[in-house]
Amino acid sequence: MADAVISKPLAQSDAANQVAGIVVKAPPRELEREPMVRNQRSIGWISDAIAGVAEGKTPRWWWLAFIPSVIMMTACFTMILYLVSVGVGVWGPGHPVMWGWAIVNFVWWIGIGHAGTLISAILFLLRQKWRTSINRAAEAMTIFAVMCAGIFPVIHIGRIWFGWWLFPIPNGNDIWPQFRSPLMWDVFAVSTYFTVSVLFWYMGLIPDLAVMRDRAKNKIRKFAYGLFSLGWTGSNRHWSNYEKAYLILAGLSTPLVLSVHSIVSLDFSVSQLPGWHTTIFPPYFVAGAVFSGFGMVLSLLIPLRRVLRLEDIITLRHVELMCKVTLATGSIVGYAYGIEFFIAWYSGNPYERYAFINRATGHYAWAYWTMITCNVIVPQLFWFKKIRTNMLVVFILSILVNIGMWFERFVIVVISLHRDFMPSNWGYFRPTWVDILTFLGTFGLFFTFFLLFLRFVPLIAISEVKGVTPQADPHHPLGGAKKGGH
Amino acid sequence: MKTIPPPCPVPDVGPKYWRSLDQLADTPEFRQWAEREFPAGASELTDPVTRRSFVKLMSASFLLAGFGLAGAGCRRPVENIYPFSKMPEGYVHGVAKFYATAMPVRNTAVPLLAKSNDGRPTKLEGNPQHPDSNGGTDRYTQASILDLYDPDRATRFTQDGNAKTRDDAVDFLGQLSKQAGSGKGLSFLAGQSSSPSRARLQKVISDKFPDARWHEFEPVDFDIHRQAATLAFGQPVAPYFKIDAASIIVSLDSDFIGGEENLYLSIRQFAKGRRTEKKGDPMNRLYAVEGLMTLTGANADHRLRIPTSAVPAAAARLAVEILRQSGHGEMADVLQPLAKAFPGNEKWIVECAADLLANKGRGLVLAGHRQPLAVHLIVNVLNVALDNFGSTILLQPAPEPKAGSIADLAQALKDKSVETLIILGGNPAYNAPADLNWAEVQAKAKTVLRLGYYEDESFPLKGWSLPLAHFLESWGDARTADGTLVPIQPLIEPLFGGMTELELLARIAGMDKTSPYDIVRETFRGIAGGGDEDWKKFLHDGFLAGSAAKSIKGRLNPPAVSAALASEVTAAVPTKDKLEVVFYRDYRMDDGRFNNNGWMQELPDPITKLTWENVILMSVKTAKDLGVYVENNENNRIQAPWVKIQLNGREIEGPVWPQPGQADNTIGLALGYGRTYSPRCIGRVGHNSGFNAYALRTTKNLHFAVGAQLTNTGEKHALSITQDHGTMEGRPIIREATLAEYNDYKGENFAKAFDMEKPPVFMPLYPNPLDKAKQAGHHQWGMAIDLSSCVGCSSCMVACQSENNVPIVGKYQVANNREMHWLRIDRYFTGSVEDPQMINQPMLCQHCESAPCENVCPVNATVHDQEGLNVMIYNRCVGTRYCSNNCPYKVRRFNFFDYNRRPLEQLQGPVYTTPLTHSTDGEWDLLRWWKDPDRGNKPSDEWELLKLVKNPDVSVRMRGVMEKCSYCIQRIQGAEIAQKVKAGASGDVLVPDGTFKTACQQACPAEAIVFGNIADPDSRVSQLKAQDRNYNVLDFLNTKPRTTYLARIRNPNPKMPDAYVMPFSTDEFIKKGNENPFESHGHAGKEAANG
Repeated sequence: MADAVISKPLAQSDAANQVAGIVVKAPPRELEREPMVRNQRSIGWISDAIAGVAEGKTPRWWWLAFIPSVIMMTACFTMILYLVSVGVGVWGPGHPVMWGWAIVNFVWWIGIGHAGTLISAILFLLRQKWRTSINRAAEAMTIFAVMCAGIFPVIHIGRIWFGWWLFPIPNGNDIWPQFRSPLMWDVFAVSTYFTVSVLFWYMGLIPDLAVMRDRAKNKIRKFAYGLFSLGWTGSNRHWSNYEKAYLILAGLSTPLVLSVHSIVSLDFSVSQLPGWHTTIFPPYFVAGAVFSGFGMVLSLLIPLRRVLRLEDIITLRHVELMCKVTLATGSIVGYAYGIEFFIAWYSGNPYERYAFINRATGHYAWAYWTMITCNVIVPQLFWFKKIRTNMLVVFILSILVNIGMWFERFVIVVISLHRDFMPSNWGYFRPTWVDILTFLGTFGLFFTFFLLFLRFVPLIAISEVKGVTPQADPHHPLGGAKKGGH
Repeated sequence: MKTIPPPCPVPDVGPKYWRSLDQLADTPEFRQWAEREFPAGASELTDPVTRRSFVKLMSASFLLAGFGLAGAGCRRPVENIYPFSKMPEGYVHGVAKFYATAMPVRNTAVPLLAKSNDGRPTKLEGNPQHPDSNGGTDRYTQASILDLYDPDRATRFTQDGNAKTRDDAVDFLGQLSKQAGSGKGLSFLAGQSSSPSRARLQKVISDKFPDARWHEFEPVDFDIHRQAATLAFGQPVAPYFKIDAASIIVSLDSDFIGGEENLYLSIRQFAKGRRTEKKGDPMNRLYAVEGLMTLTGANADHRLRIPTSAVPAAAARLAVEILRQSGHGEMADVLQPLAKAFPGNEKWIVECAADLLANKGRGLVLAGHRQPLAVHLIVNVLNVALDNFGSTILLQPAPEPKAGSIADLAQALKDKSVETLIILGGNPAYNAPADLNWAEVQAKAKTVLRLGYYEDESFPLKGWSLPLAHFLESWGDARTADGTLVPIQPLIEPLFGGMTELELLARIAGMDKTSPYDIVRETFRGIAGGGDEDWKKFLHDGFLAGSAAKSIKGRLNPPAVSAALASEVTAAVPTKDKLEVVFYRDYRMDDGRFNNNGWMQELPDPITKLTWENVILMSVKTAKDLGVYVENNENNRIQAPWVKIQLNGREIEGPVWPQPGQADNTIGLALGYGRTYSPRCIGRVGHNSGFNAYALRTTKNLHFAVGAQLTNTGEKHALSITQDHGTMEGRPIIREATLAEYNDYKGENFAKAFDMEKPPVFMPLYPNPLDKAKQAGHHQWGMAIDLSSCVGCSSCMVACQSENNVPIVGKYQVANNREMHWLRIDRYFTGSVEDPQMINQPMLCQHCESAPCENVCPVNATVHDQEGLNVMIYNRCVGTRYCSNNCPYKVRRFNFFDYNRRPLEQLQGPVYTTPLTHSTDGEWDLLRWWKDPDRGNKPSDEWELLKLVKNPDVSVRMRGVMEKCSYCIQRIQGAEIAQKVKAGASGDVLVPDGTFKTACQQACPAEAIVFGNIADPDSRVSQLKAQDRNYNVLDFLNTKPRTTYLARIRNPNPKMPDAYVMPFSTDEFIKKGNENPFESHGHAGKEAANG
């Protein structure tokens, strides 16, 4: 607010005296928003910069990243083949810890898959325009993360070849799935989320695919992009329909962001195991998922903006904003950890109390404290602007956030199970080499897809970024009235 | 090698027509017809490769004709090979038959009913009609059926290691008989036996060959009871204990609950005196004096922990106390010097003696077989002084065996005075005292002929080896502990043409009739007359009524006892540098005879919960003193220090296990492990399990010795145990009270007062569907387990494994917490590490009425039936394992691998063979699986045999599915169907109480497990559940289990120095901040009454 000089009606006789005392301050400078695209880049530059990533000769760094990813992906599938041909026993579980890394990895990947849709849907509805620079890559990340996640519940079951029994497919025996089971709900939640995410992502891609089509220099590319851009011409009618559909899909996706991880959390909270049996799980899981999702987006985009020289589009401000979201959700997660302990104490239930004391002091205390360090302490560093703007530090911290969130799931799944009601069952879970290779292998899968995505699809929504440039504003001198463009 | 089953002798009675089928099978016409009609089975007839397995299968499938009354085992094919042209009388395909038989063990036998499914024995159960049995068995008996199908058992007749035929062997025996002359140079080495037939043949042989020598050897020998009684009473007698009649029992290193003979009997008797129905019921009191932590010590109300070598002194001290007070001062004087060495708590002995004296005629002092003769003599004197003879102990006539020792025989062999050595059973090269060097000595005989169950360490490289028939393949007889004559009936033709001891002896004796059946029949004629009806009744009932030994009165012979006792010297006191070593009969291997038995290898030791091997047991303090203590970190594979034990120049190596409750400076070594050498195959199961403690055992130190040194090698060894965590953490899982507390308790149910939280009372939004379904069920099944009776013997675990086709998983998988036991026994310690109290709890599916496993299964694979069973549908299970995670009792078991189809060596990780790259018998596994998914990777000999032991009424589970206790649903259904058939139009479909039992219930000699219809208020299970000790485990979860427990009552003597006001577990419970259930009983009682 500008400083207001209040002038009151003055007596005529005093007027002359008074006039001398009046200080007329200069109007304050209007707050300048940092532009979404720095250095006043032109629209043409934006198209070139983004579409250029998927065009031209494949750069060396891409191959250097792609080949190891494919090797790791192959390892993943080899491990799965081995698992299916031998039995789930090649992994570490045994009673009492019947779920091991598979479920930890599942929940972890699903959590990562939260940022994309959150950015593209919720931030869209909230008119957060900064989302435009990151939503495409984040959505792609979501889809690939959900694919990695989806593998685990399928392969962790004992008889994989009957996995389809979890789907409500009519059959001759008239046996239906058991609708009271949260695993059943999981099937619906994850598959719906995946479908809608893919649709949403593809929807947003159409105008950009048309850009790619128009820029294509050979027939194959032209045909392929032409096929997938569904005849987009950029007419007003197209844009009008597109905007509406995009809004509807954003509206549809928004509850899904909240529902998927809530339902995943019900896998645990529906049971009666101390450490699982908690009502705080749904919101706490969603917060954790957003937290880890943003962590992963940061881990991916910080190196990418550097390598692809997209610092003008994915600006420091974007990184800072994402750090702030991470800080907020990380604090929610930390609060949830505290509340869990409080409730365990407050409940007076000795089993519940024991479960939490055991988390912090038992054989797996190392895992618990890794989680606390990475999820509670690390994000608090984002209070400092110096840290938020230091890309190397943010990158490292974002990796720590992801490690922390993996351990959170490990803490919930393994620590709760390994010491439950009957001390006679207590045991210690250890992963096997197959567990480790399968998990690492999913990174191969993820990065293989992500790298392919970089090379074939515009990794930033070109049309949307253009829409938030100053030039897009009709009042800007170059087509709009003001600098900054909002 | 084609091993066509030998033609069986034509029986006197019974159908003969099945003989013709064999002949028929050889005609070309038949083959042609069979191939046309039954290509799948019959093609094997002509295929030379699989013919062997076919014949095996056939021979295994043959039934004894005519209810086993027929005489000889005669073969009958199963229906899927040939259809019956004429149905044998009483035979219904698929319906199991039961035959009365017995399992001979050393000097006694366990009366049995053996179940036969279409000609193959599948399950052993105690014979409840036997006058001295309630139908319970011990774990050894339950597991013995697996030995029948052991693929590593001796299958061939050999001479100098070369295969021969049975006829060759028989010829050789004939020659031997003819050429033996007076029997000079002919020596026998046999195990103990109670068989009257064997005794008769022995007599025939000694008459015919007066110079032949007979020796008996048992590595674990219980004969000392007889020796002591015979010496003490100056006449050939042996004691028979009536533990149920005793109200005060003192065990002097006598592990009568776990490690002595006739466990099925002593557990039954002990538990009977332990059981209370209501307040004020009497209960026995058990004092135990011992060095190792045994099951007896675990069940004792007072336990005195002293080195095993100090037990004689303790016995003497106790005797002095009692004899002084009962007016036998002169004998007390003799014992005084020995008593002075007693290291323990004087007051303990004084009060124990006072208790015994106050209960004259109702006490019982027992000495263990490990203790020297002196202790047994003292015990006899004590029992006489306490007037226990006639009430709690009976004397039975027991003729002195006319047998030399193995040491005599070894000497004779060294002197070259043995020409022909005949070894009947046993494995002396493995388990004879180490100083005899038996393996070398045995080779000194000119001819060695050995009848053995395995081609093991004692396999004669020079000489004859004959395969021994399993007791389920043989005719025989035996006497049980009370002297009752029992028959041993074969249920199956010897699978590999094995020979019985009786036949071999008869052939050596040159008798006309060498068929074991004839021999047994003849013996029976001599004992009970010749009537065929009597004989049939004998076989049918499984015992000869009224044949129990008559008890006789004995008069103590004090001078003989005094003389024997005076020479007893006090043992050295064990120290850290001169450790005491105690050899004990293993709870699973016995003396090593079950070494290749997978059920036994995988059965957790009831005390240590260790599987697949033995350990060097020592107290926690000793382990710390010696620097070999390992903190139990609940790691799956516990890394135990590998140490060396040296005793008198011999040494063994093994892993250390710190055992709470063990005496300091004492080392416990279980016998029966560490089989390492065999010319053929040591056994694919027992191979590499544990170390051989026999290597330290010498003639002088058969049971314990002082003076061993321990050296830490610095290496570590991974152990597989099923329960690491020993304490209950103050949780009210097992609930205990002392008898005094229980009797004084004014509330409704003190066990329920232990509940930490009351189960929530809530108004459900919609009713539990089970409540409605219940109205449709005729029965409501439930179980009650009396923790006062349960001694933790683990018979139920093996019985369950046998009944329900529960696979074994191997040492590595046990370390991964993947053992498959549907029923486990949880063992907890409470109190101090030095003198803990141990408690057991059989834990199996609780069949919760609101089962947490059911609502989390996404595919409806585990559901409830209207009779209250939580049923598991294997075919529907996809294996998400959520049910196990949500089971608070953790009783669900998951098939991580195809345990039934994979050989054990393929179950050792961390790299498992995959069918994608592996071949079995030269055939790619995937192709093999494609051709026949059931065949698996097991070697064909093992596969063909192991599938015979399976219970056909229970599915064999594949990999990837969850399984768990079903309350033996196959038995429930069997009984219900039978009752429905019987009811006909009457509509009386309620199965009467006691019609059938679950496998665990049936095997339990303590009668601690009771199953039945809880909807019937008069059923035994309802009565138990109505008792004021009944409670649910984890009551507050509101799972409403159908399996409930009856709180355990301890009966301490308040005057004892180690008396306790409340059991340690209750103490622990209160210390964890819970209310004292016995102080708040008014409140709790009211609540229990209200809700």
